[in-house]
Amino acid sequence: MNILETHNLTKRFGGLVAVNNVSMHVQEGDVVGLIGPNGAGKTTLINAISGLNPPTSGKVIMFGRDTTGKAPEKMCRLGLSRTFQIPRPFPKMSALESVMTAAIFGNRPGKVQDPVALSREMLAFVEFPLPESTISEQLNTVQLKRLDLARALASHPKLLFLDELASGLSEGELNDLMKIIRKISRKGISILMIEHIMQLIMQVCNRLVCIQFGTKIAEGTTEEVANDPVVAKAYLGSSGE
Amino acid sequence: MEIANTAPQAGGLSGLLEKVCFTPAGLVGLAVLIVLPLIPPFNQEYLVRWLVQAAFIAALSVAFDFTAGYINIVNFGFCAIMGLGAYTSAILGLRTGLSPWVGIWTGAVTAAALGFVIGLITLRLRGIFAACLAWFFGLALMGLATKMVWLTRGPLGLRAPRLFETSSNVPYYYVILAMLLATYLVTRLLVKTKMGLAFQAIGQNMEAARTSGVNPVYYRIVNFTLSCALAGWLGGFYAHYYGILTPDMMHTSKTVEVLAVAYIGGRGSLWGGAVIAFPFIFAMELVRSSLSSLPGLNLIIYGLLLILVMIYYSGGFAEFYNQHFRKKEARA
Ligand SMILES: Nc1ncnc2c1ncn2[C@@H]1O[C@H](COP(=O)(O)OP(=O)(O)OP(=O)(O)O)[C@@H](O)[C@H]1O
Ligand SMILES: [Mg+2]
Repeated sequence: MNILETHNLTKRFGGLVAVNNVSMHVQEGDVVGLIGPNGAGKTTLINAISGLNPPTSGKVIMFGRDTTGKAPEKMCRLGLSRTFQIPRPFPKMSALESVMTAAIFGNRPGKVQDPVALSREMLAFVEFPLPESTISEQLNTVQLKRLDLARALASHPKLLFLDELASGLSEGELNDLMKIIRKISRKGISILMIEHIMQLIMQVCNRLVCIQFGTKIAEGTTEEVANDPVVAKAYLGSSGE
Repeated sequence: MEIANTAPQAGGLSGLLEKVCFTPAGLVGLAVLIVLPLIPPFNQEYLVRWLVQAAFIAALSVAFDFTAGYINIVNFGFCAIMGLGAYTSAILGLRTGLSPWVGIWTGAVTAAALGFVIGLITLRLRGIFAACLAWFFGLALMGLATKMVWLTRGPLGLRAPRLFETSSNVPYYYVILAMLLATYLVTRLLVKTKMGLAFQAIGQNMEAARTSGVNPVYYRIVNFTLSCALAGWLGGFYAHYYGILTPDMMHTSKTVEVLAVAYIGGRGSLWGGAVIAFPFIFAMELVRSSLSSLPGLNLIIYGLLLILVMIYYSGGFAEFYNQHFRKKEARA
């Protein structure tokens, strides 16, 4: 069953067409990799789906209903969570409070009895390395991204978007993250992840979607897309910049 | 910043203090404020007058910080809304003979209604634009108070009935002290609930808050409306204490005074401004009485103090205090 479908999704910024007529889908239980060179429109695409920056035209069907342009807080309560490529922390809040925000407000009322316990559980789940009382403004980018993941999980998503969660990680941290993503998937959460690190993509994704200049150029199983000459050309063509 | 339910539940006396939102030092401070007008030299009328003024600014700064320090919108029309409450209460008192004790509450309701409208209109705006819009509302209100001479007597001044027959300032002091306490308790108890977490979330990062499921519309309006209601309520006190209202009281420079006290006291602390208001107002009064030939000097002093605070202690006095005294308390 498709948990997410986009139909001819387009996002324009003035004259720039950042996302051009993209139709794609995510099935329940999928870990889909969204790949493409820098500036291809990957982040813009998930912003358009998650309501942060609504699409110019096209349709989004999520969880079997039309959610095109719905506000992000509504999407969150429907079961969509996301992390940010550039972390957007609550600078003065502790790690625990940051996660609690999603635990309290991201779930349907009454679903979470003990938001503090849930938040602690999520921090442990993502193996957050520092005390829960650490203030967000004292965290580095890698730690912030880990915290962001815990926050995203605290609202019990059915579908999770990850935006370049692995960038800047060491080899060891990358392996840890891989395990965490697999654990999330095993919980029954479907994942759409933007990623540049091929090693991670090849190991966790079962399907890939590749976009270039806002247009989808390939979609299929990980093997198919990774070996697609069009995709290889897109990456080679842009790596010279 | 703390959220009550994440802290380990303390038992006994400190648990009780936690519930009433006071630290031991805070309680001592409150006790000092209660006895202050009874002990020399503070029992002199002109000093009690300064105390009233300080407690008034303290209460305003708490209500101001509830918006600026939490949802991060600087309401530059704050004192104009306070003035709306003052004029409402005074005019009703004059025209209908309504008791000032009731009038104060009508001031709160009117100010809350305007706060609700401003909150609604500024909803889609980012912090700085919301601040500007609130400021324009403030300017418009002051303009109305100046021009609607038939209603407000404009710059000639509107006389308002006083709360007490006596010329002593002491009863007024206890009224405003109680209002300060109420303002602090109401705002403090609210920010300790999950609503406080929502305020902080939308104030600190709107996108992350919305992505986490926080509905910014609802919390912004609730916050703004309550903050304005408190301003209008305090405005009612102003009307029936000074007994005369002129449109100047709504001037932006009055809001800047409240802002200075709130920021020097510590953004997002609620109590910082309340504490700082007392030494601050006394210092300003001393400056004013010794250097009366230099009008506008107070604004220069606010500006310099604010710059110093922003550079060295962006969390104001509250941060300074927490760093140097709170930790020792916790260790002991
Ligand atoms: N808010 C915006 N206003 C105008 N242009 C934008 C905006 N956001 C993105 N763009 C443009 O849209 C294009 C796609 O950007 P986007 O961030 O989606 O790329 P991306 O695939 O996520 O790239 P990266 O891998 O570098 O994160 C870029 O040319 C970018 O400059
Ligand atoms: Mg991106």
